Amino acid sequence: MRRSLLHLPIKRSAWAIRTSNVARIAATRSFASEASPNPEIYDIVVVGGGPVGLTLAASLGAARATSHLKVALIEGMNLASIRDWKPTPDYFANRIVSLIPSTVKLLKETGVWKHIKQERVQSYDGMQVWDGMTDARVEFDWNKLLGGRQEGVDTTIAHMVENIHLSHGLLQRLEELAVKPTMIDKTKVEKIEYGQLTEEVDMRDWPIVTLSNGQKLGAKLLIGADGGSSPVRTFAGIESRGWDYNRHSMVATFKIEDDSAFPKFAYQRFLPSGPVAILPLPGNFANLAWSTTPEKVAHLKSLAPEDFVAMVNAAFRLSYTDIDYLHNLKSGVVEETKWRESVTKYPDPPTIPMRITEVLEGTRASFPLKMKHADRYIGERIALVGDAAHTIHPMAGQGLNAGVGDVYSLVKSIADGISHGQDIGSSFTLEPYQSERYLPNNALLGFVDKLHTLYGFESGPLVPLRSLGVEIINQDWFGLKKFLMSQAAKS
Amino acid sequence: MATPTSTSLAHTCTRCLRSRTPQLSRQLYLPAISNNRTFSVLHRPPPNYPGHVPLKLPERLFLAAGSAIISLIDPRRGDLIALLGETTAQPYFIYRLRDRMLKHPTGRRILRDRPRITSQSLSLPYLRSLPANTIGATYVSWLDREGVSPDTRSEVRYIDDAECAYVMQRYRECHDFYHAITGLPIVREGEIALKVFEYANTGLPMTGLSAFSTLTVKKDERDRLLSVYFPWAIRNGWKAESLLNVYWEEVLEKDVQEMRDQLGIEVPPDLRKTRAEIRKKRREDKGGKVNTVAATTTNEVVEEAMVETEAEREEREQREIERQAMEILERADRM
Amino acid sequence: MLGRTLRVGAHLSPSYRSTALRKLSRSSPIANAFFQQPVSRDARHNSTSAYQGIGGSPGRPTGGGGVDPVEVSHFDALASSWWDAQGPSRLLHLMNPMRIDFAKHCLSMGIPVEATTDAGEGGGEGSSRGLTVLDVGCGGGIFSESVARLPNTAKVIGLDPSEQVLGVARAHAKKDPTLSEKLQYINSSIDDYTPDHQFDLITLFEVVEHVPYPAAFLQTCMRHVRPGGWIVLSTIARTWSSWMTTKLIAEDLLHIVPRGTHDWYKYINEPEMRSFFEKQHGWGSQGMLSMGCLYVPGFGWKAIKGSEDYGNYFFGVRRDL
Repeated sequence: MRRSLLHLPIKRSAWAIRTSNVARIAATRSFASEASPNPEIYDIVVVGGGPVGLTLAASLGAARATSHLKVALIEGMNLASIRDWKPTPDYFANRIVSLIPSTVKLLKETGVWKHIKQERVQSYDGMQVWDGMTDARVEFDWNKLLGGRQEGVDTTIAHMVENIHLSHGLLQRLEELAVKPTMIDKTKVEKIEYGQLTEEVDMRDWPIVTLSNGQKLGAKLLIGADGGSSPVRTFAGIESRGWDYNRHSMVATFKIEDDSAFPKFAYQRFLPSGPVAILPLPGNFANLAWSTTPEKVAHLKSLAPEDFVAMVNAAFRLSYTDIDYLHNLKSGVVEETKWRESVTKYPDPPTIPMRITEVLEGTRASFPLKMKHADRYIGERIALVGDAAHTIHPMAGQGLNAGVGDVYSLVKSIADGISHGQDIGSSFTLEPYQSERYLPNNALLGFVDKLHTLYGFESGPLVPLRSLGVEIINQDWFGLKKFLMSQAAKS
Repeated sequence: MATPTSTSLAHTCTRCLRSRTPQLSRQLYLPAISNNRTFSVLHRPPPNYPGHVPLKLPERLFLAAGSAIISLIDPRRGDLIALLGETTAQPYFIYRLRDRMLKHPTGRRILRDRPRITSQSLSLPYLRSLPANTIGATYVSWLDREGVSPDTRSEVRYIDDAECAYVMQRYRECHDFYHAITGLPIVREGEIALKVFEYANTGLPMTGLSAFSTLTVKKDERDRLLSVYFPWAIRNGWKAESLLNVYWEEVLEKDVQEMRDQLGIEVPPDLRKTRAEIRKKRREDKGGKVNTVAATTTNEVVEEAMVETEAEREEREQREIERQAMEILERADRM
Repeated sequence: MLGRTLRVGAHLSPSYRSTALRKLSRSSPIANAFFQQPVSRDARHNSTSAYQGIGGSPGRPTGGGGVDPVEVSHFDALASSWWDAQGPSRLLHLMNPMRIDFAKHCLSMGIPVEATTDAGEGGGEGSSRGLTVLDVGCGGGIFSESVARLPNTAKVIGLDPSEQVLGVARAHAKKDPTLSEKLQYINSSIDDYTPDHQFDLITLFEVVEHVPYPAAFLQTCMRHVRPGGWIVLSTIARTWSSWMTTKLIAEDLLHIVPRGTHDWYKYINEPEMRSFFEKQHGWGSQGMLSMGCLYVPGFGWKAIKGSEDYGNYFFGVRRDL
């Protein structure tokens, strides 16, 4: 193995970073599909085929300066199931993402957005966010703020898209590219190590990725889009700091009562155990994202569908005391909530979400929540994007948006490096990416983390203070609300 | 409602919240209690439940301050103490108390059933037939001794939330059960101790404010309260299960001591006994000098009549007033 | 000529300064009147008034610019850390994109007829041939490598008198297999270098302040430029501020670069440089420009108009067609 490394499969074409000869690349691609013990050399190897990894591949292929690069993307799951995704109008997946306008703009520039089926995208231009303890409320509603709907002004706060839908669109976009990246799916990264010095080339600072199928890939630049427990980050020896929130996020897709009379809003109520959100989907569908303790999530999953529906309705209507109590009930939630809702005063839609009527079967799922931030996003011939660089609490719906922001910043840095003749793996090429993204991401992570802490209090001096703050924001004094909303749209 | 609230009678209570003595003249201290509708000419929102009187903040503050001052001066104004209780319970305390009930299965059931304690809901003859150590028997013996009925509690009017108004009502109606469970007598000293106990247990501000009436009792009583009963009240009130979460109607046959153990309440030093002993001691001191026969007699009443200290005279007068009040009340009930 | 340079100046970014504007604003330079001879280190240090401008006529009859052995040994010492991203050469690395930009800008004003234009990274359809570049004093190859990677570059020769430094350059170039076709390092001084053809672009980045006879050195370089080609250089002006930054702060206080890396007396001011090239026959009438730049901690190198009179500046001059 070691000996064979000394003899690289030298094909000049494999090294050509700039080649207008597609046929030559195709030739090396077929070479890649053989299980070769020697590393095949790529300009960029992307580990991770989630939405961020796919966006990275798509934007590298779409940008003029980087479209000639030889790129490989490695994904452990089967991408065929995403490629062959066949949506039906009466079902929406439970994993959805909220894409802010700046993200959509970038996706449009990359030519991805045209592959997104607009009838399955729900945008909203209003948000209702309130405190579960004090009911202090912020109403983000562009149309109200601007004094009515205005022609030609995009007041969208975010677009809700199913994860699989976005990934499907990204894969379709990749298919179109003149120089397609090498997609290696159903394959795991076995190990990453540094290369060897040979007669022709010194790969001692090149990461060499060994895959579970025996294939070896040498990367001029190795990009980790491989999630929170990123193997690439581990290889680079980059520390990632943060903590486990001891919270899980419960997701599900629902049918709701007819809401056609109201504008589509996103709703989020901050309960001390974590925020619960209802996000709009097309038609009478909606999606739940409820962050709470693992025990409570387990309880929610164990409930009968009608009890679960009653529980979620209660989460937007009843007091935290009641919700907490309801978590003790193994059954009879419908009955109990009926009584409590009869004696509890709560506003009507659209101030609160429409009543949920039904949970789609098999859409109840959960995942643990963490806050993690890598010490740096780059190393020599290494870059981290998305969750590999930062894992954020989902309450603000900014995780993927931040990841897409990383991708575009990184592609811009690489393109800039190429136009200045830099080695794309050199830290001088990658530094602008790090300096552009680290502080904004850090601020975002910190802000969301502080929100989580602030709203974790059931009582005490911070409870009235946070409500006061929320009231101030809601009054739009000093234009604070407009500022926050425009920042949220840009971020 | 079955309860004859009869604001016109404005039953007042010397120490506890019970309205006993009609004090028509005193009603004029605060002009608008009997007819709240005219109190403010400003727009008033519609009531949230029958009998509800929505208050504006200045009104609430005024009523709270006025009732606090006057009830401190004159502790017999049970109506004002009740008013103080209602006006200070909002916005925070009564909700917290309600939430404590909601968190407890029994408390939750009580809120769901909203039982009222009246002479209709409780069969007093049946309670009298229970063994003396039961809660029911203890409770009814309090009623009988003080000559009151469960129906004499005034209705809650100033709590805005219907459910919280019920919590206040429940607290008020169960007050006599607290006497029964703690064994504190309805004398002023016992009442104050019980209020402090309730404060530690419920967190309602009025009960805490009542502790200020300690300033108005005699020095030896005050010393006793501060050294013995307040520590007991705070300790027990704090650690005991919330008394509002006891479905009293369901535990009437239960042994009092058993219930205390269940709730985690220690019996305070017997106030009646302590007072009697002190009186006896005083008598002995005096009797040694004045009347040696007194030492041998066992009839306290006779002795009191013979050797009446100032304090004892005051107490006797108090009892007389109470007795008269009872008569009037009974007459009123008959009407 | 005036019209030409003015027109050039008009489309330049504001931080570039054209010959014509330069002439209007400043009287003839003083440098030529002064030292024609190299001064020994000791002599210079003993005489506070001594400074060295650009030599108008070479002090050396051979016509070469010479190589200072002390300088060479200095760069030998720097060799091992040349490519260290956090090492003493970090500022040079950070400056490199600006070198590329300035060179690209110069070339965009005109190149030898038979060479192709740099039509950006994507195109180059029907190009006759790529550009040839001679990087004099290439050191560890920071610029040589990057210019070799540009799609329109056909050949890059990196020239340096220090074998040790070139060893570093060669070793580093091996990390990128795409370079081997285009990039070649030669251990030689410009005086001894005899190429078989002229170059489209000769670059002298941070070099002239290290040679004993700058005028002779420049004239040697000029011989290797193809008509229509460019000399692009960068150096440091001899001012109080450059003494503060390159000597006092960078060397003595912060030790960003080893002590003795710079010899302030060898620095050449932009007007001196300009006046030198104005005197050279067949140079500069189709393009002569300079651009001052400044390192702003936290923000990197920034092109700042007028800063050529205070510190680092780029200078580009085209050989007339």
